[in-house]
Amino acid sequence: MPALRLPDKQKSYSPFVIESRIPKPEELVVLSKRLLDSTITIGKALEGCTKKWAFGGDVAEVISGVNVEPDHVTILTTKEGCDEISGKLSRYAVVAPAMAERKLAREAKIAMKPHPVMIRSYMAQFNIDGSVLDVHGDLQIRVGEWEWGDPLDYEPDFVYVVGVKVPVIPLQMKSEIYNGLGWRDRAAKIHEAVIRSRHKFG
Amino acid sequence: MPTVLPPEPMADVVCLGVGYMSGVIAAELSIAALNNQVNYKVVAITKGPYWDYVNDFSTTKYDEWGVGLGRKYDSPLPLQSATIRNTPQQFALPVRRYTMPIQYHALGHGVGGAAQHYGGTMGRQGPWGYKQKSLTDTKYGTAFLPSINPHNDLEDWPLAYSDYEPYYVDWERAHGLCGNYNGSTTNSSSDMNYPWMSQNYPLPPHPLTPVAQSFQTAAQSLGYHPFPHVSALASQPYTNQYGVPVNPCVYDGYCGGPCDYACETGAKANAAYRTIPAAMKSGNFTLVVNSFIFRLNVDTTTNLITSAMYYDAQGNIHTQPGKVFFNGLWGYNMIRTMWLSGVGVPYRWNSDPTMVSGSLGRGLTNGYLPYRGTSVSASLPNVGGNSYPAGNGSGGSVDIYDLMDDNFDHTGLNFIGGSEIGAGGYLGGGPGNITFAGGSSSANMGATFKATQKDKYLPSKLSLGSTPFAHDLPTTDNYVDIDPHYTDAYGDPVARLTYDWTPNTYNGATYLANKVAAIFTKMGATNVTVGSTVNPGAAHNDWWGHHLRGGCRIGINAASSVWNKWNQCWAPYFNIFGAGEITNTSGDNVPSGTHVAGAQSYVAADGIRKYLALTAPGQLT
Repeated sequence: MPALRLPDKQKSYSPFVIESRIPKPEELVVLSKRLLDSTITIGKALEGCTKKWAFGGDVAEVISGVNVEPDHVTILTTKEGCDEISGKLSRYAVVAPAMAERKLAREAKIAMKPHPVMIRSYMAQFNIDGSVLDVHGDLQIRVGEWEWGDPLDYEPDFVYVVGVKVPVIPLQMKSEIYNGLGWRDRAAKIHEAVIRSRHKFG
Repeated sequence: MPTVLPPEPMADVVCLGVGYMSGVIAAELSIAALNNQVNYKVVAITKGPYWDYVNDFSTTKYDEWGVGLGRKYDSPLPLQSATIRNTPQQFALPVRRYTMPIQYHALGHGVGGAAQHYGGTMGRQGPWGYKQKSLTDTKYGTAFLPSINPHNDLEDWPLAYSDYEPYYVDWERAHGLCGNYNGSTTNSSSDMNYPWMSQNYPLPPHPLTPVAQSFQTAAQSLGYHPFPHVSALASQPYTNQYGVPVNPCVYDGYCGGPCDYACETGAKANAAYRTIPAAMKSGNFTLVVNSFIFRLNVDTTTNLITSAMYYDAQGNIHTQPGKVFFNGLWGYNMIRTMWLSGVGVPYRWNSDPTMVSGSLGRGLTNGYLPYRGTSVSASLPNVGGNSYPAGNGSGGSVDIYDLMDDNFDHTGLNFIGGSEIGAGGYLGGGPGNITFAGGSSSANMGATFKATQKDKYLPSKLSLGSTPFAHDLPTTDNYVDIDPHYTDAYGDPVARLTYDWTPNTYNGATYLANKVAAIFTKMGATNVTVGSTVNPGAAHNDWWGHHLRGGCRIGINAASSVWNKWNQCWAPYFNIFGAGEITNTSGDNVPSGTHVAGAQSYVAADGIRKYLALTAPGQLT
């Protein structure tokens, strides 16, 4: 074959294209392998669970397309569900189910004023191959000096994670909670994911 | 003179092109957790842009003229084309436009490649397909194949279906394929007739249409084994093994048609929205866009490739060095780039099939039906439809594998293999559901055309149609080489395709059309009509369809194939791998070649890992 022949003048070809810039890594929604593997393990272990449960927290948002960076796995269920899940995941148990109450690191911002956010639940904790799993039964939220809210209830959406069908807290519910707490940045991330999916909430 | 820039930083793996196959290599090699925490540096180069489905497609795709006719998302022909002819004696002419009757399917452009605009239809190749040469010789005698396929050049694959099966699983999980097994009654590894599965598809099939359900019932009553059509359009929210979330299909109707509508939600699987995001997130991956690869540099003492050269959008020349190169370019460009670089052994045609030589470019085949084939048509008077909501990929339909491969006795027949038969896909194809201009018949213009549109979107009765055909077989007369007359925008010769359909396609059609007619009749259809037999050679290929494939065979024999079983180039060009080669597919009337090729990309990823672990360059065994 002929050796490389360089053209005698600069040639460029610029077809008209509508193009986007290459996204930065932080703009891409990807669940880390460690949390992904844990999510699959949990999903398989809880396939026969009789009580209502769903992934909550940031993992649920990532697998629903929201650009957040989770560091642990969260499940929301009922008190009875927490006991059932604790039985199914007993080999991973770290903290046995018990009532727990704590203050969230982030405050609510309502009417331009900050308020502490407390949660309480019947809670158990697990270590799933290196990933922390918090299971909350009948989780309640209290903002500032207001009353405790009702235990969170929901009808889950479903996501297939590498073929394992898992329930997740609906984005609409999370968006409402974030807006209620004044966490507009988090609500905006959900809004962006919903826009990209071109699906309505739920 | 163009500005020749200093070499780019050394990479462990350089991907040529950023389509489906390169996406897998990029993800598998760049994610340290998949490589014992080794941070392989991967660079991938594409001549087109990065596409964001929201910014680029969600509003601009609703442009029938620009997308359907202007092909604004597709590979620009003024940049590069190919020439085509039917026989080695003809003068090949270049493809100048993408619209019929000269051309129909366009090649892809940019990240995601052709899968940005394809139909998303999938389907595994069964066990017979991988060993069809030896199985045919054993069952029907060694004289049979040459008798039905003049200048026959069929070969077995180097691996069996059982070897590829786990790689199929990886591919299906990565891209979120929808379906429910493939019709195997036992689903065991002893089933040689159907593509049994160790794992079901990761997503459920799309909802079946009434026609599909009718087909399913009829097929079952005739003893066939129907299953939902396999689609690469996500039917549900999904997250793949790389942690990349996927939006489900919105059935927007602007999807299929002439297979050119990019997806506005990323539900249509391709590298840009399944594998490349994970690679980009890894921190070990560099994406180079709007850059045209024109040469591979080879060390003449070692025959190893040292670097790839490309033009950027300003015409500057870049050099990308690497340890391993993965050729993920579209078929003809895969061949052309190697040919122009002196990598591989170019195929030399001869009218005497015993005198041909070389492998690069050998064995061009077609995964698509003859332009005119024996057809069967019917009416379903009591079933209506709605053409507005639609996904493509034949989602919603039902298939059978019972009339393909060697799943029926071919004794006394003049063909091998057969066709996947299906019915019931979503009606809608967006504006593509309206016949585009370009044809010359009265049905495509004027009052006749308008009349046919009246009942187009909410039809009260449906038509059934099928043009089944047996798979195309490789011959020594169909091949790719380098055109001596025409060049690309930069002055390099374009690929020349010499191709015409082989008799197997036509002969199979005659037999299969009657089988399809029987199913249609069982469905309660009326006016079931088998068209006149179209004999071999009655129509000639005059289009550069994207289902032309092959020419860079994976095989056992270095004299007639380019890649070995690890998808590594045969000696002495040890450090280039490739995938997407589908010369010897058992075929069907849907282009499942992508699915067959996809499994190879995972084989190649394993091969590259093995190669990088070698202490000295060499052939993998």
